[in-house]
Amino acid sequence: MNNTATPQVKKRPEEIGILPQTIMYLILFGFTILTLYPLIWMVINSFKTTQEFLMNPLGLPNRWFFKNYPLAWRLANFSTLFLNSILYTGISTIGIIFFSLAAAFAFAKIKSKATSFLYGGFLIGILFTIESLMIPLYLMSFTLGLTDTRIGVLIPYIGLGLPIGIYLCTEFIKSLPDSVVEAARIDGASYFKIFLYIIIPMAKPVIATVAIMNALGIWNEFMLINILVSRSDLLSLPVGIMKFSGALASDYGKQFAALVIGTVPTVSFYLVLRNRITQGVAAGATKG
Amino acid sequence: MVKPSRHSTKSEERRAYWLLVLPAVVIYWAVTAFPLFFSIILSLTNYSGGPIFAFDFKFVGLNNYIRMFKDPYFWISLKNNAYIILVSVFGQIPLGFIFAYAIFRKLVRFGDFFQTMIYLPAVISPIVVGILWQTFFSPYGPLTKIVQHFKPGWRSTFLLDPKRAIIPVLFVILWMYTGTYLIIFLANLQKFEPSILEAAKIDGATEFQTLWYVILPALSGVIVTTVILAISGSLKSFNLIFAMTGGNPARRTSVLALYMYDTAFRGAPNYPMASAISMFIVMLSIILIIFTKAVENRYGGRE
Repeated sequence: MNNTATPQVKKRPEEIGILPQTIMYLILFGFTILTLYPLIWMVINSFKTTQEFLMNPLGLPNRWFFKNYPLAWRLANFSTLFLNSILYTGISTIGIIFFSLAAAFAFAKIKSKATSFLYGGFLIGILFTIESLMIPLYLMSFTLGLTDTRIGVLIPYIGLGLPIGIYLCTEFIKSLPDSVVEAARIDGASYFKIFLYIIIPMAKPVIATVAIMNALGIWNEFMLINILVSRSDLLSLPVGIMKFSGALASDYGKQFAALVIGTVPTVSFYLVLRNRITQGVAAGATKG
Repeated sequence: MVKPSRHSTKSEERRAYWLLVLPAVVIYWAVTAFPLFFSIILSLTNYSGGPIFAFDFKFVGLNNYIRMFKDPYFWISLKNNAYIILVSVFGQIPLGFIFAYAIFRKLVRFGDFFQTMIYLPAVISPIVVGILWQTFFSPYGPLTKIVQHFKPGWRSTFLLDPKRAIIPVLFVILWMYTGTYLIIFLANLQKFEPSILEAAKIDGATEFQTLWYVILPALSGVIVTTVILAISGSLKSFNLIFAMTGGNPARRTSVLALYMYDTAFRGAPNYPMASAISMFIVMLSIILIIFTKAVENRYGGRE
């Protein structure tokens, strides 16, 4: 998984002949434009009034109209949406990491007959299409009075993030030498202390991977929270944007501003942590 | 495994094990195994809302399943899931591989930049992506204006035409997730020992021969993994389609998950039938897992 290994450093690009190479560049530039154009188009149109957008959806604005942002921010209640998204993402991610590491430590370093069954159950969850459970989850949540509560969102987020978290953490902790735990045991440390003071500090790389993978997924999650929560003060960013766009379907200026506000956090997160995210995606897929 | 030392007794070890494992197990089983069980029961009843523990419902056998199989929208949704899988298998996976290969072998420059650009759409919220592209493809959208430069009077009616509305949806799915496959292939290509590829080259193998006889056979396991990902990914396409078309026009762009959602929440709620649909998706997933395992055994692991 180490990206620094670059074989054939001195290789010249022209090995496959000029024509295939040109075609390759054309396709790659094509895809780059396909990625950038809609995003740039979205940003440009967020500075037009709706009237101007309808007359001129392609060009630059004649007059840059900045008011879409404050208006959209207030109408869609973005302060609340951001706060909620940060809470859901932060708490679930921390929960997933903590519970994953604890279980993974036991699976990897304490012998028990239950491990193959319990660990196997988590592994199945990686391949399982969680989406299929949304109706029963909703009904269960409703029966228990957990709809329209924060905890009712956090529990499924944590539970559904555990399989991949436990898989990655268990594989990682297995790779740590047994002697680390043994030595601490001989010194009289309890398993709880070993977990807190030895395992967690050593597990930093895998913590980062699990955190990044889950944070992005939970931040963008829509399907579950959309049915579990309807109170406007509990909505997350994607649900808020969806509701806003439904209510103001023809008010394009504000809608584009809302879309830009919704895009900026994840795209900047990605651009800053590009390599880590890439590694996380690849790590998750090798078993998913 | 850790040998028990003088200070540790078996019972302390056992207690520690369960203390560490239980929170994860309880939460995980509560949100997967329990709803699954719940769903099986519910799919066999005629429950129609209200408190579940009032037990105000009857068991109706497989009626909900029969109704589902007779519903044309079920088949439309299933077909759309199949289209999405086809786009992944014949579009995203080959493209992802070709891009990854070109970047890995340094057949093009700026590999890092291209990788970033192609993966970028996957990190944006599917809701934002759906709304954005819906506007793009709408009759007033930029697509209409762009094409009008070449063909005056043309209007983009893709999203209004029940027969063709799935095309822009498939395009956006291709746009959004090709980068994921690029990343998976690139990460696996980077595991190759440079010496193996050098050896092939010294033996006089061309670029194509190296690819065909050395690289592709070693990646067969990864290719299987990406196909599995494509299938489970198609079952997860709910968010994007919900935002982009809502399954319309005339529910022609629905997928199984959206069909389940509509059955449960649009119009008169029909939870038992939605549960039957849910069980159908679960069965598909299980078949998938068994299939993966079979393929995995046959090709001897996926490393």
